[in-house]
Amino acid sequence: MRINTTRFGRIDIETDDLLHFASGLPGLEDCQRWALLADAGNEALGWLQSTSRSDVALAVVSPRRFVPDYQVRIPRSELTPLAMRDLRDAQLLVVVARHAGALTLNLKAPIVINVEARTGRQVVASGDLPMRYELVGQRSPLKKSA
Amino acid sequence: MLVLSRQRDESIMIGDSIVVTIVDIRGDKVRLGINAPAEVPVHRQEVYEAIQRENVRASRLAPDETQEIGKLAGRGPVPNSGKAGESARG
Repeated sequence: MRINTTRFGRIDIETDDLLHFASGLPGLEDCQRWALLADAGNEALGWLQSTSRSDVALAVVSPRRFVPDYQVRIPRSELTPLAMRDLRDAQLLVVVARHAGALTLNLKAPIVINVEARTGRQVVASGDLPMRYELVGQRSPLKKSA
Repeated sequence: MLVLSRQRDESIMIGDSIVVTIVDIRGDKVRLGINAPAEVPVHRQEVYEAIQRENVRASRLAPDETQEIGKLAGRGPVPNSGKAGESARG
């Protein structure tokens, strides 16, 4: 299928590559179908692009690549809707945002993808994890001199 | 909103399968015990609302704003090694 996106123009997606988020995402509840795209410039970066809203896309990364000691515990209730018993069968992604000039990762609410079923869900991990984990070295010059 | 008065160790039921029990009351703090089926996630409201705000903000991020992320990445898995690579950011 062909979808329109404000960031990447018109792109072709194989139906098999679509991901279904039955509950949408918090704050984006109306977006249930997504395509996971690789970023052409950064191999560490992906984009979850909504197929229904051309302007909605979330930058995502594999957290362990940026936070090697990231340990995530997810309540069973969060995984039940994905029909998945074991996190080892899942692909884990975290959402990238920008706050005060720094790129941040939401480590508290990772996105879990059941690769085989092509379903996904953003979950709330247990414990004290930041929603704005700041990636170091990201201060803009403006911020530094302020 | 339905408002009910409860004392310590008393409960309310929501539907057939969710039981909320007043475990302890101290000053202005109430401790609740929640028994719910495994498939019902339970969250503090402020946490869920914060995630909503973070997602809405993140969904406005432009590709240009992520450029330095490559320099920060260690070795490891990529978000998608599939064939869509040519499609993002032409």
